[in-house]
Amino acid sequence: MKRCADVVIIGAGVTGAALAYELAKRGIRDVVILERRFPCSGATGRCGGGIRQQFTTPHNIRLAMESVKRYETLSEELGVDIEFIQGGYLILAETEEEREAQRKAVALQNELGLPSRLLSPEEALDVLPLLDASTITGATYCPTDGHANPFRVVEGFLAQARRMGVMVEKFTAVTGLVVERGRIVRVHTSSGKISPGAVVNAAGAWSVEIARMAGVELPNVPVRHEIAITEPVEFFMDVMVISIHNGIYFSQTKEGQIIGGIGFPDEKPGYVISSSLRFLRVYARELTRYVPALGQLAVLRQWAGLYDVTPDAQPVLGPTPGVENFIQANGYSGHGFMIAPAVAKHLADYIEKGIRSEILEKLSIERFKEEIRGEAFVVG
Amino acid sequence: MRIEQHPILEFRRGRRITFTFDGRPIEAYEGETIAAALHAAGVRVLSRTRSGAPRGLFCAIGKCSSCLMTVDGIPNVKTCVTPVREGMVVQSQRGPGRLNPDFRPREREVRELRAEAVVVGAGPAGLAATRVLLRHGIKPIVFDENPHLGGQLIKQTHKFFGSRAERAGVRGFSIAEELLSEVEGEAEVLRQARVLGLYFEDGKRVLAVAHTDRLLLVEAEEIIVATGAEERFLLFPGNHLPGVYGAGAVQTLMNVYGVVPGKRALMVGAGNVGLIVSYQLLQAGVEVEAVVEAMPEIGGYHVHAAKIRRLGIPILTRHTVVRALGGERVEGAVIAQVDEKLSPIPGTEREVSVDLVCLATGLNPSTRLLEQAGARMAYVPELGGRVPLHTPHMETTLPGIYVAGDCAGIGEASTAMLEGELAALSLLSRRGLELGGEMEATRKSLEKLRLGPFGARPRAGKEKVFALMKGGSGG
Repeated sequence: MKRCADVVIIGAGVTGAALAYELAKRGIRDVVILERRFPCSGATGRCGGGIRQQFTTPHNIRLAMESVKRYETLSEELGVDIEFIQGGYLILAETEEEREAQRKAVALQNELGLPSRLLSPEEALDVLPLLDASTITGATYCPTDGHANPFRVVEGFLAQARRMGVMVEKFTAVTGLVVERGRIVRVHTSSGKISPGAVVNAAGAWSVEIARMAGVELPNVPVRHEIAITEPVEFFMDVMVISIHNGIYFSQTKEGQIIGGIGFPDEKPGYVISSSLRFLRVYARELTRYVPALGQLAVLRQWAGLYDVTPDAQPVLGPTPGVENFIQANGYSGHGFMIAPAVAKHLADYIEKGIRSEILEKLSIERFKEEIRGEAFVVG
Repeated sequence: MRIEQHPILEFRRGRRITFTFDGRPIEAYEGETIAAALHAAGVRVLSRTRSGAPRGLFCAIGKCSSCLMTVDGIPNVKTCVTPVREGMVVQSQRGPGRLNPDFRPREREVRELRAEAVVVGAGPAGLAATRVLLRHGIKPIVFDENPHLGGQLIKQTHKFFGSRAERAGVRGFSIAEELLSEVEGEAEVLRQARVLGLYFEDGKRVLAVAHTDRLLLVEAEEIIVATGAEERFLLFPGNHLPGVYGAGAVQTLMNVYGVVPGKRALMVGAGNVGLIVSYQLLQAGVEVEAVVEAMPEIGGYHVHAAKIRRLGIPILTRHTVVRALGGERVEGAVIAQVDEKLSPIPGTEREVSVDLVCLATGLNPSTRLLEQAGARMAYVPELGGRVPLHTPHMETTLPGIYVAGDCAGIGEASTAMLEGELAALSLLSRRGLELGGEMEATRKSLEKLRLGPFGARPRAGKEKVFALMKGGSGG
């Protein structure tokens, strides 16, 4: 392993990979990624792959819109088929209150230039003919949302980053951060020490522990989120579906499998990622309630990953007061894959030119000193 | 084609029925699987991949995905373990099947029950375990995903080896009959019951089991997992062609369903399975071109080898199959000599005229249930792949969960039965039952059975597993 590097990135999930690539592309190639296990071994490799722009806070909407722009051309740019299917997101509502929330969300989204719109149950049926429209009071739809294969995305970013000189140190755990005069001067790892120019904390649900090594307290908590995949069937849905009623989400992969999950509000914070029977039963019931034909499919696997959840369900981004070369890129609250390419640009601007964009200002760790309004649609 | 005359087996066939395959009527017997009935009718191409390549039967016991078809509108059905029914509509697929848009899920009955103990798998290990539990007054529930009970014993027509105490001289299917007669009626034994997962909910262990149209949620503190093994595949061009089978599939077709898998066979592998199945092919009236074995020595018992050699079948050591020929099904194969690194030697290729390539190249433990449950695993090549760590008394890293038979490391039916007994005895001792010297005696018999030269590899593998278990580490 190198003794020093301009930028040390902790974590080889989508955030670390996208940022390393973005930096290398701009000529900052003395970059080392430290990964405790292997690329995609955390939340990225366990996520559903959704890329949604229909959020309820301006920052999330903006980041997601920038991100979709990147995803649209990423296969070509990286030379890897990331299996991006831009079939839109259909968001289901089951009550009048949910309908009202959707009206407000669409108004905000449209204001920011997102082509989302309200659909009646019948119109939702046009988007997904196998939907049981009697289950919903309405839906919203944005045709430019989509989904992709997270493994391909990370593989693509890392291959290009490596080609430009970025080092990826697998099975290398960070064991300590040495702070002197307000800067991290050394990173201790399971395979040696490294002196960093800047350190990026992209460790997902373990970001809290990494930050603590530098004496920084993040408000993030790890929350288990379960997911399952079925056997493949002939491709029939390019749209990704979520429900704000119960938090279910599902889409069909390019291979034809139905991948999806559902969250539980009573899930207790913690690092346990075992699979539960409750999830399997509730997910199967809700999935087939919305799309009864999916009852023909067998579930092949179920697994779980960790959401890195902040009090307002928005990420923690940018420099850390008190430790000037420590940059946060975590707290995605389940939305990391969607916005990572955009986040990478903002962080690269900061690392390269010292430009702190409005988004980095607003989503800084400093915001937790005040009270603010959070993201309402915390689903895939 | 069906076998009408067999030197050992008598096929008691069920009622004649008719189903349709891609619109065409097919005659079958009740009790057969869809794939077996199609084979008997000469159908070899069951489905096609997205690119149009043909796919046929490969494992015949529901462990691979080579036989998926659309049955009564439901896509991706494993036709090798699905019994055929009167009027069934069976369709081949191209790539993954298509959803039936009109399908509406039926309300499923969910039954919650508590079991005194659970045994997963009704093969030699599972049944032997069940018998010991019954003898000590515990009535377990036994689940098996297959339509037939007895595991792979039911297709073993040869006489067993080993010591007399372990039933040397008795044919495999007779052992299955004997075990089943002692177990059925005493323990609750459910066939076509697929264990979906083992969960830990509110401090309880719950197995989710799909059985017919019901979901069973079975609470049990102690579970013996005896899920067996699956056929190992071999890489060579043409290995996807219908007519390339696992040796177990050939046995299932011939010895369970009385269906001939082909006319002339090439056997790949001269271990016991390869040698025994070659002889069984001859008994079923199938010619055997040759047995090829990549290693310099025959792997199986010499008495089995001598038996087929006497019948004029060459056993070619340092030889392997390099390709299967044919467009829609196997129409021939190319074999060649191999060097020390097992690579084919150019210039030694020879074409053989066969319509059946039978792979007897080993087994992998079927361990998904234990992996899902969170048991610690390790890769132990001597035992056939990833195996759950366990003590010499068959307890896994999950207290009260035991493992036995091939899923604890590839062995043979006699060691599987002893492991099953040992697992059951461990369970009983965990409950504080006084067993006298029974447990140690069983463990010693097991050790003795593994003492011969053929036991060296599994013995070494088990030592590794026990050491890892003690050390508390694993992969």
